[in-house]
Amino acid sequence: MENILLSLLCLPVLGAILIALFPSSATRQMKVVALTVSLINFLLSLNLWIFFDNSTSKFQFVTQLDWFEFLNMQWYIGIDGISLFFIILTTFLVPVCLLISWSSITHLVKEFLVAFLFLETFMIAVFCMLDLILFYVFFESVLIPMFLIIGVWGSRERKIRAAYQFFLYTLIGSLFMLLAILLIYFQVGTTDLQVLMTTEFSERRQFFLWLAFFLSFAVKVPMIPFHIWLPEAHVEAPTSGSVILAGILLKLGTYGFLRFSIPLFPEATVYFTPLIYTLSVLGIIYASFTTLRQIDLKKIIAYSSVAHMGFVTLGLFSLNTQGIEGAILLMLSHGFVASALFLCIGILYDRTHTRLIRYYGGLVQTMPLFSFFFFVFTLGNLSLPGTSSFVGEFLILLGVFQTNTFIATLAATGMILGGAYSIWLYNRVVFGNLKPIYLNQFADLNRREFFILLPFVVCIFWMGVYPSIFLESFHLSVVNILQSH
Amino acid sequence: MNFFFENDFYAILPELFLLCASLALLVFGVVYSTSKAHGKPSLMRLMGWATILCLGLTFALVWNTPFQSMIFFSQSLLIDEFTFFFKVLILLGSLASVCISFQYFETENLKSFEYLILILLSTLSMFLLVSAYDLISMYLAIEMQSLCFYVLAASQRNSEFSTEAGLKYFLLGAFSSGVFLLGCSFLYGITGLTNFEALAIFFSQQSQITLNQEWVFVQVSLLFILVGFLFKLSAAPFHFWAPDVYEGSPTSVTAFFSIVPKVSILAIFMKLFFQSFYELTILWQPFLVLSGIFSLFVGALGAFAQKKIKRLLVYSSIGHLGYMFLGASCLTVEGVQSVLTYLIFYLIMTTQVFSCVLALKDNQTGQRLRYLEDLKYLNKAHPLVAFAFVLNFFSMAGIPPLVGFCGKFYVFFAALSSSLYFFVFMALLSSILSCFYYLRFVKFMYFHKGPVQLKFAQMDECKAWMISTSSFLLIYLFFFPTVVFLWAEKVALLFLS
Repeated sequence: MENILLSLLCLPVLGAILIALFPSSATRQMKVVALTVSLINFLLSLNLWIFFDNSTSKFQFVTQLDWFEFLNMQWYIGIDGISLFFIILTTFLVPVCLLISWSSITHLVKEFLVAFLFLETFMIAVFCMLDLILFYVFFESVLIPMFLIIGVWGSRERKIRAAYQFFLYTLIGSLFMLLAILLIYFQVGTTDLQVLMTTEFSERRQFFLWLAFFLSFAVKVPMIPFHIWLPEAHVEAPTSGSVILAGILLKLGTYGFLRFSIPLFPEATVYFTPLIYTLSVLGIIYASFTTLRQIDLKKIIAYSSVAHMGFVTLGLFSLNTQGIEGAILLMLSHGFVASALFLCIGILYDRTHTRLIRYYGGLVQTMPLFSFFFFVFTLGNLSLPGTSSFVGEFLILLGVFQTNTFIATLAATGMILGGAYSIWLYNRVVFGNLKPIYLNQFADLNRREFFILLPFVVCIFWMGVYPSIFLESFHLSVVNILQSH
Repeated sequence: MNFFFENDFYAILPELFLLCASLALLVFGVVYSTSKAHGKPSLMRLMGWATILCLGLTFALVWNTPFQSMIFFSQSLLIDEFTFFFKVLILLGSLASVCISFQYFETENLKSFEYLILILLSTLSMFLLVSAYDLISMYLAIEMQSLCFYVLAASQRNSEFSTEAGLKYFLLGAFSSGVFLLGCSFLYGITGLTNFEALAIFFSQQSQITLNQEWVFVQVSLLFILVGFLFKLSAAPFHFWAPDVYEGSPTSVTAFFSIVPKVSILAIFMKLFFQSFYELTILWQPFLVLSGIFSLFVGALGAFAQKKIKRLLVYSSIGHLGYMFLGASCLTVEGVQSVLTYLIFYLIMTTQVFSCVLALKDNQTGQRLRYLEDLKYLNKAHPLVAFAFVLNFFSMAGIPPLVGFCGKFYVFFAALSSSLYFFVFMALLSSILSCFYYLRFVKFMYFHKGPVQLKFAQMDECKAWMISTSSFLLIYLFFFPTVVFLWAEKVALLFLS
């Protein structure tokens, strides 16, 4: 049982090594191998959920291996209810990404697959590391494959700028986290998370540490003044890159807040909550307005992600069970909805090779199936009751309302604005006049694309209608995190 | 005093062997390569293997030395765990640079086996330098090393650049040796001592008050000696000769220059300043910090504008030096340990990067690749080399999970634990800046599409082995760093005790 996590980590690497041994002309075989490996990984990760014990807030599937023995740092792997679903989300999205780029990636296929499988390992590792320094290590190492994915398989010349921005923004933020981790180590003598949970830092020190962590996570989330890299990276990345960015990488920031900032520095968290509230509300409103006037399909989704992540940070720092559970649910739901929307845009882009909204219109006449899926995901994006986002946003507003009514009221406008930009996007793309010049390019979904999108619909409604199956798995972990407050 | 030195010759056996072997090889080469009966053969390959054999045997001698620690030859030389560590590094570095330059000399039509003899001799001089325990033996060893290097830099006799490099190196090197010697003689004038241990004892009993007027001479002499070292290390602000010299010299010599001398000079620098001048820390530590910060930023900013690969790598190595100074200026066991480990990782990364650079060669024109622009085609022609290259640059930038991260991490660790907050902050800033140009390599190699306009020549087996081994170590040592760190810790503990 304990080895499930370890094999989850190793399997993609082994797959990548296997693929590296293929001749580069055998593209189909390599793709099949990569897909098989990632699917096996997905099934394995479901085992985590099956064997997960809901009745404890302890870390489960714990494994320890030596690393820097003389510094008392070691590989310490384990999950609780919070990380469980992020791991499953990761393993779910990777095969989807491989499938969506099945025919659109024609250049350096082998490198693409290898980069993706390594990316999978790194992402899973971030979510299950229970050692601060190793969390940092994998938080950073995600940069390498992602930088390559944006830079090599991106679409335009501007991709270089986007890749640089992505890399450097994250690096600058996280180097401060490294310093903070070292300072923590000097006080405690270990970076083991479970020991740190029981450690008290002086108030003054907490402020510094919290700010250092904040810099690195806020860049990753991204919160409003640090968000410039996100639209660039999303627009320039290939579809699969955007999906991973929106689905997983943005969650690394909020996951970090939840896992480290909130339980380790309780006083500082309370002290800085107004800052987070302000930035989140700014993010929700400003990003929603920005979304309204974008003309690039991917930028629309990117900015709407910023708005949704604003909700998530708001929920996390409401510091009550409803708010935090809502935030986790919204993270998961955003992982499905935003990824699915990026997939839809990728499908359109594969056909027309443009993302500018003015070239689209009246798609419902030639692409009915696509329009259906796109509609469901749009509903998800505007958090209609019955979809997964609604549950999350409702719980978040519920949580925030208890602590700060004014902020909750402001945040609630985000739901209206969300409706505005989502519906307007759908309206412009799917309804209206069909642009006849591109008529023959608007073929409906093929079988592969249909089956990629189907599970997303199922998940969105499942989480919307019966969320308690998720909630009960991470309820105790959330309570455990809140114990220090 | 025993005239016959008893065991002293055992202790110096590796050096003696190196000396005899290089002289024997020289005689053999001179006789054989000029003999008409054998058609004046080019001896590069044969001599290359002989050099590798010599270095290997020396390695065996160093490894199996019967002495833990010993001072010999009238207290002018010393061997202990510290010198052992550095000798092993020097040997591995020399071995690596001989291995990767095999093909170079054949294809560049440089049929001068003297190159290999010079490498052996400079290895010998670095051995002596590392074991030096006296200002005089140290100066002599430094001079011997420098002489070998001047000749090496100018060894491509038909190239103006190489000659220019040799001349520049010689003029500036001689000047810095002069400054260095002046510092030493000031010191001798004040103390009447040249032995390291005696100096340490002297300074532990004397202070600013007791030395009175001579104190200013102590300061001046320390400054001169420090400047001499900084110059030899090519640390900023005494780095101006380095880009020209490194670029002008033949690439295999550049590789040798970047890999090995840093090790030997850092070793003797640490020995002199950490042991003899430990009591005078207040005098020299600020300069070390200053030079470290300068090096970090010169390394990061200087590399921005560079278009040539070799020049860029020089600036990158100046930046790495800054990190080692950061570790060194901690003056703690962790600090020394971090320098030692950083040195090992630096050695691995530099070996790898230069074996890649040496492998890049246009098949049609026979031109060596000099510009970053040329790397555009590398990924299509040699995907594996491109991958190794990229791995290395991420490692140099300190991105986990590669070994460069471990090095930087531990340097930061050591520096923070001795409260060098400002220096650490500067190092962070420069490491972000330096990411720009490391990423530029990646950009050139992977982000360009388009047809391949260059055909790359096949590389030889030796280089392939070097590249694969060092790339493996780049990853392996990140996951299993304990061996390296424990060894470094042992050395550092014995060194500072």
